[in-house]
Amino acid sequence: MGEVELSCRAYVKMYLHACLFPRCSINGLLLSSSPTGGAVCVTDCVPLLHSHLPLAPITQLALTQVDVWCSQTQQRIVGYYQANACISDNSPTPCALKIADKIAEQFDNAVLLMLDGSKMSPDYRVPPIVMYERKDSRWILKDKHTIMLRQWEETRAIASQMMESGDHTLLVDFDSHLDDITKDWTNQKLNTKIEELASPANGNI
Amino acid sequence: MLMLPFLRLHSCAVITSPTRPVKMPERFESTLEKRVVECYRSEEMRDKLRKWREDNCRNSEQIVDVGEELISEHASKLGDDIWIIYEQVMIAALDCSRDDLALTCLQELRKQFPDSHRVKRLTGMRLEALERYDEANKHYDAILQDDPTNTAARKRKISILKAQGKSTEAIRELNEYLEQFVGDQEAWHELSELYINEHDYGKAAFCLEELMMINPHNHLYCEQYAEVKYTQGGLENLELSRKYFAQALRLNNRNMRALFGLYMSASHIAASPKVSAKVKKDNMKYAAWAATQINRAYKLAGRGTKENKCSMKTVEEMLESMQITMS
Repeated sequence: MGEVELSCRAYVKMYLHACLFPRCSINGLLLSSSPTGGAVCVTDCVPLLHSHLPLAPITQLALTQVDVWCSQTQQRIVGYYQANACISDNSPTPCALKIADKIAEQFDNAVLLMLDGSKMSPDYRVPPIVMYERKDSRWILKDKHTIMLRQWEETRAIASQMMESGDHTLLVDFDSHLDDITKDWTNQKLNTKIEELASPANGNI
Repeated sequence: MLMLPFLRLHSCAVITSPTRPVKMPERFESTLEKRVVECYRSEEMRDKLRKWREDNCRNSEQIVDVGEELISEHASKLGDDIWIIYEQVMIAALDCSRDDLALTCLQELRKQFPDSHRVKRLTGMRLEALERYDEANKHYDAILQDDPTNTAARKRKISILKAQGKSTEAIRELNEYLEQFVGDQEAWHELSELYINEHDYGKAAFCLEELMMINPHNHLYCEQYAEVKYTQGGLENLELSRKYFAQALRLNNRNMRALFGLYMSASHIAASPKVSAKVKKDNMKYAAWAATQINRAYKLAGRGTKENKCSMKTVEEMLESMQITMS
């Protein structure tokens, strides 16, 4: 199967989502604004839930809303991510497989990404992610060498910096949006902050 | 030599002769100010901690921030409150991997209450945080030997099973616990969460039914019950879910999950080929009502900000697209 590229924005938001709810299982959707064909470029993500992941109504609602938003913004849902509350076990749960299956119905090269909580300490050197791809109706582990994170050191630095300065509290997931619908689950403000930190003017390249 | 009244506020007053104009030297002024500010500040922090205790919040990072400062700088002002604050801060510190702070609090509590079961439980919790589960279990077993009705120790043992990923055992133990302590809401809720994670929706629903009986005015239990029923699927469960989403809304008309849930369950029922024309019509009415409320809520929320206009538009489009599947 093909290569997958994970953008800084997508990684940082997933990381901050996991940091915002360290005691819960969290999940979200991976999006791409790039044309299909060739490598799958995950350019953004939408954090979804931090409670009752296996329950259907809110997941269905979120999938539908994100779908609509994607068609309005020329993006598509290309994958799913999850981090388990219990850090000793980072294998995909049945609900993760179900949602990933659904996404794969619409997009052949869908990816399933599990965040490994045990590798998320400040001194970690490698990306704390495990990726799965679909082959013959099963989700199998993806070869690490086909996963690309451009400028990993920079991305890692941005993620750490934002967490330390408390920016993870700015992140809004779909659950939080339902608690207060004035909050923006597309996280435009956070996206801007990430862009600013990643910009060459900051001397980050 | 006279001490003028307003100088009495200081313990180190400036004593001047009454003939000379009295002006407080600058450093004493700032000491006074500092003390007044400190006094208000420690009250504020104390109130925050009390509120978080009463609401049972798990905002451990904040508790550690406020609690650590309060303990280290204002301990003398806390009186007997200090012990409950030590307990609260210790548990929050464990949650944030601050073993240094947790140990400090624990040692103070051990000194003051050497034979207390409550403090023994805290010792156990620290061992749990260090993943020394066998030792922690020994502590809890010792408490239970002394006092078999100690619910806190039993719950900690169940938490250890959960932390070790032993869901089946945790569920079994929790069921046994609830046979004895039928009114324990916290335990029923924990059990419902465990069942949901095991995808055993029927049993999760049962737990939520118990919770709704104990607490009929809690809109969150109604809404969670409705979500479980919806997840179970099938026409009967969908109708139940719609009823309970509606009930949750009656109890709290701002519950957005319940509003969306009502919309979705009513829409699915109306779209089902198995229902009579009347049921279809009724459910389309409910769905239409819910859609109006949702749109109104988003319009209100969307005033002013560009980002919110985006979610408003998204919701509108989504509701429209779901309507098509109904007719």
